Amino acid sequence: MEFLSQINIALRGPTGQPQSAADTISRLADRLSPSTLLADRRAAVLALKGLARDCKADVAELALPGLIDVLQNDAEVDADIGKAVLETLITLCEVEENAPAASRELGYKNTDTVLAEEKVPQKLFTLLADHSFYLRYSALQFLSTLLQNRRQVVQAYFLKAPVGVTSLIALLEDKREIIRNEAIFTIQSLITQSPEIQKIMAFEGAFEKLFNIIVNEQGLEGGVVVQDALTCIDGLLRFNQSNQSYFRGSALPPVLLSLVGFPPSLPFNTPTPQQFALQLWDVPQKRANVSLAVGIIGLLARHAGPPDGLSIACTRCLTELGLSSNAPTHIKTQALRLVPSNLSALPLAEMIVTPYMPVPDSNGEEWDRLEPSSALDALVELILHGEYHAIIDGERRTKDGMELRGAALGIFQNFVQKEEISEAIVQAMISQPGSQAPVTPLLYALTTVPVSPLNFSSVTSTHFATLLFAHLLRYSPRAKALARSIIPQAGAASNQNSGAFFVPADGGPPPAGGAADAAEADEDEPQTLLQILSEHLSLAFLARAREDIPAREAREWDRLCVGYLCLLIQWLWEDPAAVREFLEAGALGVLVEPINQTAEEDAMIPGLCAFLLGVCYEFNREPGEVTRAIIYPILTRLGIDMLSGRIIHLRDDDRFKAVGPDSIVVPAPSSHAPTHHPHQGPPSVGVPQQDVEEGEIWFDWAFVDFWKSNYYTIQKAIVVDPNSVSSAAGQENAMLVASLRDVIRNQAAEIERLQSQLKTLSTASSEQEALRAQIASLTEQLQSSEERKRDVEKEQEDLLVLLDELNSKRRRDKERMRQAGLEVSEDEAEDDGDEDEEEEE
Amino acid sequence: MAGVAWHYVLKFIITGDAAVGKSSLLIRLTDQRFLANPDPTLGVEFGSKLITIPEENKVVKLQCWDTAGTESFRSITRSYYRGAAGCLLVYDVTSRQSFVNARSWLADVREHADPHLTCILVGNKIDLCTDDASSTSSAPKRKREVTTEEAELWAKEEGLLFVEASAKSGANVEAAFEQATRDILEKVRRGVFDDDRSPGVKLSKPSSGLALEDQTRSGCC
Repeated sequence: MEFLSQINIALRGPTGQPQSAADTISRLADRLSPSTLLADRRAAVLALKGLARDCKADVAELALPGLIDVLQNDAEVDADIGKAVLETLITLCEVEENAPAASRELGYKNTDTVLAEEKVPQKLFTLLADHSFYLRYSALQFLSTLLQNRRQVVQAYFLKAPVGVTSLIALLEDKREIIRNEAIFTIQSLITQSPEIQKIMAFEGAFEKLFNIIVNEQGLEGGVVVQDALTCIDGLLRFNQSNQSYFRGSALPPVLLSLVGFPPSLPFNTPTPQQFALQLWDVPQKRANVSLAVGIIGLLARHAGPPDGLSIACTRCLTELGLSSNAPTHIKTQALRLVPSNLSALPLAEMIVTPYMPVPDSNGEEWDRLEPSSALDALVELILHGEYHAIIDGERRTKDGMELRGAALGIFQNFVQKEEISEAIVQAMISQPGSQAPVTPLLYALTTVPVSPLNFSSVTSTHFATLLFAHLLRYSPRAKALARSIIPQAGAASNQNSGAFFVPADGGPPPAGGAADAAEADEDEPQTLLQILSEHLSLAFLARAREDIPAREAREWDRLCVGYLCLLIQWLWEDPAAVREFLEAGALGVLVEPINQTAEEDAMIPGLCAFLLGVCYEFNREPGEVTRAIIYPILTRLGIDMLSGRIIHLRDDDRFKAVGPDSIVVPAPSSHAPTHHPHQGPPSVGVPQQDVEEGEIWFDWAFVDFWKSNYYTIQKAIVVDPNSVSSAAGQENAMLVASLRDVIRNQAAEIERLQSQLKTLSTASSEQEALRAQIASLTEQLQSSEERKRDVEKEQEDLLVLLDELNSKRRRDKERMRQAGLEVSEDEAEDDGDEDEEEEE
Repeated sequence: MAGVAWHYVLKFIITGDAAVGKSSLLIRLTDQRFLANPDPTLGVEFGSKLITIPEENKVVKLQCWDTAGTESFRSITRSYYRGAAGCLLVYDVTSRQSFVNARSWLADVREHADPHLTCILVGNKIDLCTDDASSTSSAPKRKREVTTEEAELWAKEEGLLFVEASAKSGANVEAAFEQATRDILEKVRRGVFDDDRSPGVKLSKPSSGLALEDQTRSGCC
């Protein structure tokens, strides 16, 4: 700073009076003019640079135009002045997050001044290609400052700059790491929300260059620069269809898969190599890098149209990572969440995975390889029993662990979306005549008898089993029908370790207590699944009503109740046969009790019970012992309004409200976090028990969604008279029925009208027929009479002819007689013409 | 999949006036279908296609950037010229104006692109003015405004390849790209393009990523 004071002395003038900062700055600004010597300008810029931090406003006001001119004219000529002027400008434009508003405002104002014309940004883009290290570096920094303040303006200039892209991309190959890393950082903000810049980056080969950097920096094992590069790649791809299709078609996706250790062209029936499944995860940076890479793989797995080789490979990579690797839990969760929802690319049941299990007390350094199993089994296993059979987490429900199981649950839900699949799975649980159906892990967990004191892992398993089973039944009448005939093998609920699923040799104690045997003893007839569930529900209600259980255990009983209730609600919905069976198992009493509890601060269980009761009333449509007429008085005695209120209040429950499509895990109440149950042996793996965030699950989104679309129907249904036919099934139904009835009524009237019309018409036509016959006979008569008349006429004529002949003969005879002298009457001879008449007379 | 999937990657740009059928040509090339009423392209769209040049026994991957013809995008689309190895300069044979404007597009290309870029002049929409009356009965028949001879002559003067094509019927579409590709490969053989200098031509070589894959393979066996 020595030269600075020299300048100050020089400027102070002969009087020796101290000057104000503004005066000094004003003089320095004058010196920036191009008419001065380059050395003077350099000195002035350096002086201003020193003043810029403390007197930002004055420097900006007095010297900014001059500084811009210097940048324009001198930067390329003299690297020193270029660097200094860039650094000064950075100081003037910088906006610090925590600075007072006025100072931030100033930074924005200066940025606007700098960006008012295109010459400054254009100059910056040119300087990016300059050979001087400092110029390049400072230009990049200034660019990134400007981007932070006014991104869109800079982006617009960038698109117009003839050389911007090329020189910026070229920096990715700069040998000097500082510049390369700064360039990656600048590109990150430059491409934000600008598809055009993203595309042109892709065109200029940004993907290839970024991948080169990653590969040369030891791949995902590399440092923060790898993370930045991956962030950049993600930014180029995420919302850019055009770039995605470019990227998919390039040679890079296989490189990406190999980065996470997944062989890109691994045949489907070949297991993944151990190097992929078991990796070292000690370095936090690697976790961040892998997480980003997994995000990009997820983008490639989601592919519109028929699945191609790439999307299948990516989907498999995600699934393997989630189910059979030693990746950190949050990465597994991320991978499973990214598995595309249409699983057509992935035959989950046929896919074989090889799960691994940490060797206890090896601190995660040794791993047992388990028997290969189908991915579907591994998935269900993960959901029911948690990561590595919870041998690390033990009784605790870590938030990460629950998230992972929740993500796996999501895949299961997508998988059984197809009705054929869910039916097939349910079908497999039904015993065929003559042979017992094997107890599937799902059924086992579902029918585990809850006994006090509760084993918390077992509660979680049972709860997840209810969620899984609900996914199988919801919206599938046929699956519900099949499920009614499930008769779990006697002893399924007992303490048997059946199947290969309880392999962990040194795992925790098996779930379910010994009391199960006692419960089993008094069962003569095999119960159906539905009966078992309703029995367990009632057991759970009884247990939680006891006064002497600790608060934490009461909470677990609540969770069990919620699980059973949610499953039953979705099962009995629109399934009258199941409703009948449930009611005949004595469900009414079980449900009424909790609803009726008066001093109940917890709205959740009464709400669910009220809803289930409503479902039982609404869908009780089959003749049985417990009719609607029996239930209705119970409803009225409880109070319709009270029931309705209970149902509505569930929506206000925090555990219900917190559930979203992607988040079903809620934080566990913190008071429980440090306590660790003494009577359950602590996990034996030598992982230090740090304070980990715990989480828990009450509802899944599918149920919340189901509830929200149907609670109103039930609210209406409980008001309806027991005798009314299914009109209670919601207004729409009633309206539909009414309108159909109208249609029928109209049609009947119509038919009647037409029939009468037909009748009149037919009578008319018979009359016509008669008339026609009459006419025919009359014509006939007429014809015959006419004929007769003609005959008569003819006869008459013949007679006349005959008469004429006779007359002429008589006349001749008379003549002859006269000639013969015989006497002839006179008159006849006198008037010959009148002869006939006379004769006739 | 032992061998390489392609030998060369070539970057193409498609340019020319708005509504002459640039996007339709690309869709015809990549999807073998005709885009009846496409929306105007915004900025740039990407499409790719593998073609085989039998004489050279080479598989070539064409990366095509279809640019917007609208004036407002011109500054954006210009950025793509520099990196391209080939250019389809498209005009509409039923629009005199689009042919006239081709000169300014060519000037743009000459100004910004690699000097060795191969440019092919494509007269599109010949289906609209074929002599066969029956085939055009459905579409309104329009008069040809640019004769083949005239366009051919101009292409020769400017040293461009030339073809007339139809994105609707598919006639000559692949041929146009193939012709340009042959020309580029010829230039590659003559050593005009040197690998480092032109970003538009890339020889496919085993990348470091593939090497990485080999490592993991050998490791697991």
